[in-house]
Amino acid sequence: MTAVAVPLGLLALWEVLARLAVLSPRYFPPPSRVGAVLVESFAEGDLGGETLVTLTRLALAFALATVPAVPLGLLMGMARPVRAAMEPYIAVLFPVPKIALLPFLLILLGVGEPAFVLTGAISAFFQIIISTLAGVQTMDPRLLDVGRNYGAHGVRLFRTVILPAALPAIFTGLRLGLGLALVTIVAVEFIAAKSGLGHLVYRHWQTLSTPQMYGAFALVGALGLLLTRGLRAVQARTLVWQEDPGRL
Amino acid sequence: MLVLGWEAAVAAGLLREAFFPRPSTVLVHARRLIADGTLLGHAGPTLVRIAWAFSLAAGLGVTVGLAMGLWRRLREGLDPVFAVVYPIPSILFLPLVSFVVPRGEAALVLTTAVTSFFLIAFTTTEGVRQIDPLVVEAARHYGARGRRLFTAVLLPGALPYIFTGLRLGLGYALIVVVAVEIVNASRGLGALLWLSWQVLKVEDMYATFFVIAALGAVLSYGLAALRTHLLPWAQDVADR
Repeated sequence: MTAVAVPLGLLALWEVLARLAVLSPRYFPPPSRVGAVLVESFAEGDLGGETLVTLTRLALAFALATVPAVPLGLLMGMARPVRAAMEPYIAVLFPVPKIALLPFLLILLGVGEPAFVLTGAISAFFQIIISTLAGVQTMDPRLLDVGRNYGAHGVRLFRTVILPAALPAIFTGLRLGLGLALVTIVAVEFIAAKSGLGHLVYRHWQTLSTPQMYGAFALVGALGLLLTRGLRAVQARTLVWQEDPGRL
Repeated sequence: MLVLGWEAAVAAGLLREAFFPRPSTVLVHARRLIADGTLLGHAGPTLVRIAWAFSLAAGLGVTVGLAMGLWRRLREGLDPVFAVVYPIPSILFLPLVSFVVPRGEAALVLTTAVTSFFLIAFTTTEGVRQIDPLVVEAARHYGARGRRLFTAVLLPGALPYIFTGLRLGLGYALIVVVAVEIVNASRGLGALLWLSWQVLKVEDMYATFFVIAALGAVLSYGLAALRTHLLPWAQDVADR
């Protein structure tokens, strides 16, 4: 009950306050108007296009991060020399705000898609590799012993014991990584790109076309919610042996 | 090793000096930037902004999180609102915030605080909820209630989670402050980084980047060390 009532109540309050001009309708247009503008710009097709641009960048960045990060994380977890060689670099680079890499990538690759996508990919990469490594490192060592006692070695041990044990952590890493990639991509669009939802918010802010601005803003929120909730649902359904997928 | 390789590669002409200045050149530039006060003049505002944003996010986040953990109604009401707002990247709040408060410091600080606040509130709520109800019941049995129950049982029980939230929140605040400074500030490390890029002062860009990276490392590992010191009994929740 409350779960529906509170958000609706807040929206209604905003609507009323904006209509009564208690809130300046120039800066805070009523939600109904934002909704109307949103539908209108979708019908004209440009909003769908911009959404697709952001989604494409996000998908590319996520794939670019996941493909090397998961195997590397697993390898680091299983082979001590690999871990010893890589851990210091990852530990130093992980807490760096990846958006600070944008100017370097812009110099290296020029202003364009590769630099935008790569910035997003790097932010996801470190999160995924760290979660994957943690998944292997924190697995119950008894599982390994049992597996070995039953004669599982090499590929078999990896496939039937290590991978399933690490999978929940890997999945959490993928979810957090996707979220970080979205944050970074939208920030990059806001700062440097000339397309995408992030840029849309920036442009409409500069021209003070606030209904359009809130529309794009809400769309990013919906996208983020859909992605995080969607991935969590997939996680809960496929990894049934995991107790709690967590909230973040 | 990597640094030496880099130096050698530039010296041998494998990397273009214009884009990849030698580490020694960067060091010289960094020294000059520190000596003439530029770097400090930009690091100062960034640190002050992070401090304000983090205090704001921590104070409000822990309070709201504890309240949401304790009262089911509040949690049920706020959960859907938070769930929609939280995944929105902080930087998009800059226009919104700048409508509410005057442009300038306040807008930068508030924008930086947004996502950290949600992270801290989420983890705090989670921290209260995961406390074993048996423990709470036992405490009640021994006559702990109200304030006493809160300070003796609920707060210590939730503390490991709160600390994880604070650590994540601080990391986020650094990301956002750099992004916000790139967009909308003339001072600050993010602004210096972007400015150096726009005039192609590559050496200054590297120097600034290393300061930002060092700041990230100090904040993140500093807080982790503090947690091990203060809460030796509890593992970081995000590490599980």
